[in-house]
Amino acid sequence: MRRQIPLALVFIFGVFMIFQYFVPHESSEWIYEFLLDWIYIIGIFALALGIWSLIRVSVAKIKTRKSGWGYPVITMAGLFLMILFGFTGYRDGSWGFHFMTAEGLSNPMFRNFFDYIMIPIQSTMFALLAFFIASAAYRAFRARNVLASLLLVAALVVMLRFNPYLGPFGTIIADTASWLLNVPNLAAKRAIIIGIGLGMVGTALKIILGIERGYMGKG
Amino acid sequence: MKCKSLVILLFVCGFFALAAAEEGSGPPDSTHVDSIPPPTPVSMLTARDSENDHGHSVTLMWELSTDDGAGQNSVLSYEIFRWVPFFMDTLQSIRDSLAGAEGTIAEQLRKRRDQAIAMIPGAHKSYPEQGGWRKIGTALSGQSSYEDVGVKDRGSPDYMADHTDYYYLVDAVTADPAIRAPSEIVGPVQSFGQFFNTGRIPVFVAVLVFGLLTILFVTRARRGAELYVRPLAGIEAVDDAIGRATEMGKPILYVLGLGSAADIGTIASFTILGRVAKRVAEYQTKLIVPCYDPIVMTVAQETVKAAFLDAGRPDDYYEDIVYFVTQSQFAYVAAVNGTMLRELPATNMYMGVFFAESLILAETGALAGSIQIAGTDQVAQLPFFIVACDYTLIGEELYAASAYLGREPILLGSLKAQDYAKAAVIILAALGLLAASLNWTAFINLFSVTS
Amino acid sequence: MRRTTIIAMAVVLGLFILSWILRSASYVTVQEHYLIGGLKVTFSAFLTLAILSFLYKDNPFYKFLGIMLLMRLSRNRGWLARWPLAFIVGTTAGLNFVRYLRSDFMEQVSATFVPLFVDWKGVGYFISHFSLSASGQFVAIVANWVIFLGVICGIIYFFFSKEHKGVFGAASRVGIWVLMITFGASFGYTVMGRISLLVGRITFLFRDWLGWIS
Repeated sequence: MRRQIPLALVFIFGVFMIFQYFVPHESSEWIYEFLLDWIYIIGIFALALGIWSLIRVSVAKIKTRKSGWGYPVITMAGLFLMILFGFTGYRDGSWGFHFMTAEGLSNPMFRNFFDYIMIPIQSTMFALLAFFIASAAYRAFRARNVLASLLLVAALVVMLRFNPYLGPFGTIIADTASWLLNVPNLAAKRAIIIGIGLGMVGTALKIILGIERGYMGKG
Repeated sequence: MKCKSLVILLFVCGFFALAAAEEGSGPPDSTHVDSIPPPTPVSMLTARDSENDHGHSVTLMWELSTDDGAGQNSVLSYEIFRWVPFFMDTLQSIRDSLAGAEGTIAEQLRKRRDQAIAMIPGAHKSYPEQGGWRKIGTALSGQSSYEDVGVKDRGSPDYMADHTDYYYLVDAVTADPAIRAPSEIVGPVQSFGQFFNTGRIPVFVAVLVFGLLTILFVTRARRGAELYVRPLAGIEAVDDAIGRATEMGKPILYVLGLGSAADIGTIASFTILGRVAKRVAEYQTKLIVPCYDPIVMTVAQETVKAAFLDAGRPDDYYEDIVYFVTQSQFAYVAAVNGTMLRELPATNMYMGVFFAESLILAETGALAGSIQIAGTDQVAQLPFFIVACDYTLIGEELYAASAYLGREPILLGSLKAQDYAKAAVIILAALGLLAASLNWTAFINLFSVTS
Repeated sequence: MRRTTIIAMAVVLGLFILSWILRSASYVTVQEHYLIGGLKVTFSAFLTLAILSFLYKDNPFYKFLGIMLLMRLSRNRGWLARWPLAFIVGTTAGLNFVRYLRSDFMEQVSATFVPLFVDWKGVGYFISHFSLSASGQFVAIVANWVIFLGVICGIIYFFFSKEHKGVFGAASRVGIWVLMITFGASFGYTVMGRISLLVGRITFLFRDWLGWIS
């Protein structure tokens, strides 16, 4: 019984969503939008579970003084500070806790934390990709076999296409690179996407029919 | 004599102009004399409900004026008019008041607005007395159709009610806007939503075919048919990788990706996690599963717990094997990188939906000296995993992995169904090649989805 | 201020009730000090109620499935959390099924319907107008052939239930070669994109901040 009801729910809602794709009528559209709203709201509740898990793990590491226990302290400090700033705001001439309004988002400290700590850190992490891509390229371009060589040559051709120092070879490389990006690239991507599409469709169908149940656990 | 005729002519014109003005507002008078002669109007004007939509839309079609691109070549555009009852102005004024209102006044206005909306069909029945013609759109010369699309949101001024009588006419307009030719009035026409989108019939057929194929092969598999599957290097490496971690006494890091619990890639990853967790429980190796999404964390906890139960080691399971980190992309990857560099796992598995952070994860794992097995359906990230990881499951291989690891007949049966679908794709592509070369548009149109 | 106090009291009372419902009091005394455990439960319930009140104070119906998800925290009622999970998974599976069948299957397959010979006006015309320029007929024909064969061989590579031997194996090999060329080209393309990101950061450091470059 404990497994039957969720499986039945999966089937009912799965079949409904397939059905509504072919029914443009307003009533079907209304139910579709209603169901999508539910998904967002459940996600918000799930956030509470997630934060509890994070606090548990961090507090456990701090209590047992595991190596590197300073990092969870910083995590917790960041979490509580942002919540504090997010919930306090200035309204009607006084500071106070505001849960039902967005005053916290205009709190200057909240904005400062976001603009001067979070955004620069995220941009820097993204920019780190440049270093990682160089190290990945160094390790990968050792051409151990035919496939790795093909990968290496194709990557080199594309990387060199905007190079102004290649003279007459420059145009040949640029044309080859354009051709590589427009023709075999398109073919392979299409093959992968068709495969992924079939796989996704097959897996979705297995989920709806209750054949694929790995996401539900046991008992 | 000539003077008298001119005076009489002017008087007659003036009389008609006055009479037209008394009737109420209407389309601009097209009898104004100018150097451009009046064009011929459009003909065969038809109005019908737009197809395959949720209602609130009417499609107009007409035959072009003979002076559009031919004849006098004077028609530059067409103006479309719809008959609108004066009652709609009252409704709009209620909407305008509602926009600035608050509290109980807003409640009352909202009620009045809803009552007024219910009276729209009745108001339209008062045609032609209690309303006038309003321009609703323009079409350029050469265009012979126009779609009058309204919105379903009752609070919007563009709201167009269904099951209401609408009347239209189309003016052929020249360079001088005063010189135009109105068409015959067409109507009443009502808009309403359809119950089946005929433009999506090819997809419907595909749904039926695919569903039947899957059910057929799953039934066959249940009856015990033997199914061969070719070896996948990434899957075969999973066992060795877990063994390696056990020998070295180091943990296994499993990353479920940045997708939500509803993404198919993440669902495939749950199944793989279940199999990996069962073997980890049997070998008593440590498992670390940091999660990006709280719902994914919930499901992963269930999966791992069930796997430990299956392996006969329920006491070895503890809640913090699977934990939530954050829902910010680079913050998550920073946390996972930190874990990798501190815990130094022997094996890293990346299975699921990944984005730009895929290379950072894979490279840091390589720095930490781990064996890495990756699988993703994100085509843009595949090159990075292929370059940086030891084994990669490309796209569909990730979905097939759960069937490979468990070897359950039903899952293998559905793999077979997918293979048959691929064979069908190859045949269709060959037929399509012929069709495109020989111009068999009927075959090509079978696959076109119009809405 | 008065409103804030009332809300805070309501939240505190609410979480006491929630703790009782979840029987977390007994759950946490086994594990650790009651106060810490209670604080943890309190905090997550507080956070949930605050977010809820902010978003959906009018419609209690929406909270139903969400509260079921929170039952996850309870030992005895944990199985209830599967219902909202089943709802999410089922809804998105149904949605993904039709969407990807159309976009990743039908539209991709119909895009592969390319003609064998582009703008064919006869062999004589082809030979007399032969050129290797990117907009020429020969290049267009070769492109169509490569796309068609590339797609077929790529799909053959992904066949699971047939051994890759003989002609099938050869086609599969061609497929993986095409895939590797694609991955190399994509990798090279992305390298250039990432380097440009780095250039952006370095420009910020040396020009906008330090002013060492103009």
